[in-house]
Amino acid sequence: MPAEVIDGRKIAAEIQAELKERISSLKEKGVNPKLVAILVGEDPASLSYLRGIARTCGEVGVLTDTARLAENVTQRELIEKIEELNRDSEVHGILLFLPLPRHLNTLEAESAISPDKDVDGTNPISAGKLLLGEETFFPSTPYGVQELLVRSGHNPDGKHVVIVGRSNIVGKPLMGMFIQKQKGANATVTVCHTGTTNLAAMTRQADILVAAMGRAKAITADMVSEGTIVVDVGVNFIPDPATGRNKQVGDVDFEAVKEKAGAITPVPGGTGAVTSIMLMVNTVRAAESLSKSRG
Amino acid sequence: MSATILDGRKISAEIREELKGEVSRLKEKGVTPALAGILVGEDPGSTTYVGLKSKACEEVGVKEAMVRLPETVTEQELLSTIERLNSDPSIHAIFIQLPLPKHLSEEKALAAIVPEKDVDGFHAMNVGRAWLGQPAFVPAVALAIHEMLVRGGYDLQYKDVVIVNVDSMVGQPLASVLVQNKENARANVTLCYPTTPDLASHTRRADILVVSVNEPKFITADMVKDGAVVIDFGSNFVEDPVTKRRKTVGDVDFEPVKEKAGAITPVPGGVGPMLVTMLLVSTVRAAELTLS
Repeated sequence: MPAEVIDGRKIAAEIQAELKERISSLKEKGVNPKLVAILVGEDPASLSYLRGIARTCGEVGVLTDTARLAENVTQRELIEKIEELNRDSEVHGILLFLPLPRHLNTLEAESAISPDKDVDGTNPISAGKLLLGEETFFPSTPYGVQELLVRSGHNPDGKHVVIVGRSNIVGKPLMGMFIQKQKGANATVTVCHTGTTNLAAMTRQADILVAAMGRAKAITADMVSEGTIVVDVGVNFIPDPATGRNKQVGDVDFEAVKEKAGAITPVPGGTGAVTSIMLMVNTVRAAESLSKSRG
Repeated sequence: MSATILDGRKISAEIREELKGEVSRLKEKGVTPALAGILVGEDPGSTTYVGLKSKACEEVGVKEAMVRLPETVTEQELLSTIERLNSDPSIHAIFIQLPLPKHLSEEKALAAIVPEKDVDGFHAMNVGRAWLGQPAFVPAVALAIHEMLVRGGYDLQYKDVVIVNVDSMVGQPLASVLVQNKENARANVTLCYPTTPDLASHTRRADILVVSVNEPKFITADMVKDGAVVIDFGSNFVEDPVTKRRKTVGDVDFEPVKEKAGAITPVPGGVGPMLVTMLLVSTVRAAELTLS
């Protein structure tokens, strides 16, 4: 019996509608939520991602700006720019585009972002606070996964979540979030490495299986137990024999796994659709906190 | 066939011998590793622990600089003391003996220690950096368990490690160390809590089982895979049924589990004796880092 297909776009739209109200309230008080992206160099993938963010900001009513720095910017100039944005009372969210050119010290730059404005949880101190259960901003991709699960009626509370892939952007923060004694968490969490010999034995244990390894269609039907909730965070581009162009697929062999899973997220239209709206959620929250503390 | 006993006292002594050598080498380069501890009040437990740390420093050649503050110290005075130690270039490592008296905020005090000297690894910056695989200080329990496994020759890559504890002292930092994509790590880590549904199904698949729940005989033989490595970080004070005297036991039903496990830590004599030693390891490392 085919799985329920979880509609990421619908969930993103719900969240967006809620956000618009919060943004209206802020604007009534004279606060215009603003996100500034710092981009060093001209990497086309980053430029494309930036355009996507600008579009989402426009749709919800969040101001956006980009601080463009030359490829050969010095470490000092980069840190100064971050500190300038930290001090700017009109700026509520700072997004540092990674990776940075190799001559720069990434860790130092990440650590310079004010935690109050670190809306993608880039500063290592934000990762620490996440793990310690202190108030912080969750990185947008894992935050989106949590929202998607909770809003589609598949709360991880009390469940066994198996995450395949232990990246700093998805796998690790997701583990940190799900072990907290909080709503939308309280799960037993396993993180596995893709090189594991008998990976299927581990993935079959899951109540909720999160695929975040970056390998097209690596999760096959034999790796999934009947009724498992399958969340696909993978974004891979493979050639489509039909069109001769590249198409986007996830880490899950969708057609095959769909017959076994209880629920499944499609790619595209699943977690990806929720990721960018979570960045907006964090920016709005930053604006709310920062405007409150100024009285 | 009985499990190998993982002797924390022996491992601790080995590490301290190695540390003596490292400290000598640092002194030759003009650096005397120094550890400052802050003790507030007269709580007997805290006083004992600080005493153990002082003695250990002396044993390996680390300079100790304990600061004793009265029970009535204000938060501002405590934070000023920490600030002074932060700025003192002759101090490489700072720890605060917990618990603090109720009128003081532990969270604020721990966050006030500069991350480069936070050898207990409690500062959110160290927690985050360790988690992300960056150089950082890690809490002693996690370091101790990792050392025990590595020195015992237990391979960690892709092993099924199940940890029954999710707190910031044991489960989280240990997961942090073991999940990294590097040598002596790369394990598949599961974090459970005592009330995880069907917990036995998790513990039974573990190649390496770590438990810290503070409940005697919480882990029984039927919950353990044949040949598993069992690490017990429980501490329970119970009455011995035979002698009627009080004694310390762990969370594992030791005698029956010993017959199934491949290796097991006794309590006492397992991870406990290694904790102060691992604090010294971090202190020496903090001192070494000032050279680079």
